[in-house]
Parts: sequence; structure tokens; C-alpha cells
Amino acid sequence: MFDFTVKYLGALKHIPLFAHFFDAFLKINTLLFNPRVLDYIDAIEKEVESWPYVSVELHKFGGVQFNFNDYEIGHIHGNGTLDLLLNRNVKLELLNEGRITDHHTFKNSGWITFVIQTAKDSEYALDLLKYSIENRKKS
Amino acid sequence: MNEPKSKLLMGIVVPNVFGVAIIGMLQLVNSYVSDSASSVFVFSNFIIVPTLMGIISAYFWRDLEMKTAKKIGWSAVVALIAILLSAFVLKEGAICLLIVSPLIIGFILTGLAIGKSMFKKNNGLVKANVFGVLLLLFVVDNLSDHKQLSLVSDTIVVNAPIEKVWPLVVEYEPIDSKEDYWLFKIGMPSPVQSTVTGYHEGAGRKCIFSNGYVFDEKIVVYKPNEELTFDIVEQPRDPEIMGHIDIVRGQFILRDNGNGTTTLVGNSWYKLYVFPEWYFGTWSKSITRNVHLRVMKHIKLLSEKDV
Repeated sequence: MFDFTVKYLGALKHIPLFAHFFDAFLKINTLLFNPRVLDYIDAIEKEVESWPYVSVELHKFGGVQFNFNDYEIGHIHGNGTLDLLLNRNVKLELLNEGRITDHHTFKNSGWITFVIQTAKDSEYALDLLKYSIENRKKS
Repeated sequence: MNEPKSKLLMGIVVPNVFGVAIIGMLQLVNSYVSDSASSVFVFSNFIIVPTLMGIISAYFWRDLEMKTAKKIGWSAVVALIAILLSAFVLKEGAICLLIVSPLIIGFILTGLAIGKSMFKKNNGLVKANVFGVLLLLFVVDNLSDHKQLSLVSDTIVVNAPIEKVWPLVVEYEPIDSKEDYWLFKIGMPSPVQSTVTGYHEGAGRKCIFSNGYVFDEKIVVYKPNEELTFDIVEQPRDPEIMGHIDIVRGQFILRDNGNGTTTLVGNSWYKLYVFPEWYFGTWSKSITRNVHLRVMKHIKLLSEKDV
């Protein structure tokens, strides 16, 4: 559902509140079919929010957004899809490891996508967020 | 009652009191301002009000350390109460409430997410922006003109000559085939029969539905084997349609395909009083289309008998 909507109905995200409405239904879907993912997202949010210079807010297209020094480093949608900004070298390295994929919209950029489904995935998501912050510190 | 429980309860009760108060006030103002018998349920009623309800819940639940899964559950309770209040206070029908419920729950959750971000510390700018945008949308939407005429058109080919199709367009025997549209299956009235008082312009026509409701119509164009157009002069006072939609005009156009078959076009014009159009227009088009198709398939079946 997420991939289909992003691919074919992506323009709808520019309608005010539509993306948040869609994310609300992603959360309901997650609650019905994989409820633990919502707990993983909560835990990641709580952990990352405790890191220095990190703030958490609502992402403009729905989901939880993480900022480092007020710059967005990534966000998680209601179905557990983590979109994250890395540098291209780190991205290539991680792509070779095979756990992450190109960002679902921005293919030729430092953005990556990682889908959180299990407890191990949520640990890896935290590692990725740390990479992203390190990347931000260097830039 | 301990503090967390009372905050949880306030997050359920206060948004619903707010919702009833604001919708009631809007309906009251609308009944004084509007020249129509129907009240208009605008974009704000189904989007901004539930969003604000979610924001209010988020305010009361902000310190409860509630997990997202639980928040969705309690938001569903808020939505369920709002839907039940709509049934009792606004006298809405069950099908209407079924149609509107995804909007209510979706936008309460949207408001909850917005509220969660708003009520974090040092987020004063977000609070001001969100309230400003919602207030602006609310005012602009309520001052906008929402009366618009919509058309739904459907076409089928009947494998029978036009002379056989025409009389069945004017009036037809009861439809006894099984319902194949899910809303008809769960209780929405479907068309059953049409009768006329005469075969000329100005004659009366009745479209009878499965629950006994009757649409009283007046034939305004009667061109045998070509066109039948009728205006709806009175529609049933059913809570499912009253104040939400006015069916204004219906029409059948027949075209001889020159090979013993007939193209039958069914048109309906209606005024919608519930918005946003992108949501309720989709439902009303789907329902009107399935009313058309049920009648037109019946006409096709009867016309093609013994051909």
C-alpha cells in the first residue's frame, strides 16, 4: 500500500493534511498486522530524542522526523519505513551489505530507506541514525 | 479518580464536547444563513473538527507516556463516541456513518500526531502555525460556496432494437435479481421499479426503492425512442440522503446502433451537501453509478428476452 501510494499517488502529499491522514492509516494497518513495529518506532523515538542536539517533530509528509542541530537527518513513517540521509560513500557501503535500499523517491542522493519489522531491525535503525548524525557532524 | 485516569477521560470527553458544540453551532448558523432546506456539511466538519479533536486529546494525554498502539485504541474510542453522537444528535443514518467513519478516525489520529508535536516543549512556533492554518481553513471553508451540481453518466449496449428498449426505459417491472453492490447488500435501498401516470411530457413518474421509498418525478422531455428526461420533484425524507444529497434530474438517452442493438445512456444530476468533494463525491458517484447500472442491466435483461 505504501509503495503503491508513493509511486502512483505521490502528488497527493501536497494536499494539506493528506500525508498525515495517510500516515494515520499506515499506523492502523501496522497495529492490525504487525503491532510490535509501533512499539519499535516508539522506542527509537524515545532513545533518539535523548541524544544531544537531537529533536523530534512531526514530518511534513507524515511520521516522526529526527533533527540534528535543527537539520533533518531522517524520519520514520507509520509502517516502520525509515528514510535516512547519509553520505553517498556510506550509502554505497551499506547498500552492498544488502540491508538497506535506495530511498523510495530520491534515488540519486544520499537518502536511503530501511524497513523496520523486527527488534533486530530497530537496533540497526538506531545504528543508521548514529551514522547519519556522524555524517551531519562532518559536513 | 487518579490523575492519569482523569487525563485519559478528559482526552475522550472534552474533544467530543468540543465537536458537538462546534458542529451544532455551525448547523445553527447555517440554518439562519442558508436559503436551502438542506444543511451543508462542509470540509471543516469532517476534516478540521476531527483534527482539532485529536489535538485536544493530545493535550490531555501529553504526559501519560502512552504507546502509539494504545493511543490508536483510545482515539478509536473518541471516534466511536463522535460517531454515536452524530447518530443521536444529528440523526444520521447508519450508511452515512459508515461512510464518514474513516474520515473521523483518520483525522482524529492526524490531530493526535500534530498535537503530540505541538505540545512538546519549546514548540511555540508550531502551535501558532497549526492553529493559524486550521483557523484560516475553517473560516475560508465556511464562507465558501459549496453548492455544486454534479453529473454521473453511464452507458451500456443492449442487444435489442430501440423500439424494444424504449418502453422499458419509461417504466419497468420489479427488479428481482440479486444485489451485486456491497452497499446494497448491507442495507442501502436499491431501485426496484418505475411507474408512470402517462406517456407524455408533464406526466408523473415514480422510482420505487427496495425499502418502499419513492422518488416522485415529472417527465420534462418525452421523445419516444430517443430521450426521456425527468425532474425529481420530491425525494424520500430518509436520514441517509436528507440534507446530504439532492437528486435533481434523471435522463435516459437511446441511440440506434444500426445493427439491431441500442446504446443506452443513463444520466443523473445531483447536488451534494457534504464536503470535501474528493471524498464524498467518490461515494456519491459510486452509489449513483450502481443505481444506474442496476436499472440499466434490468432494462437490458428484459429487452433482450425473446430477441
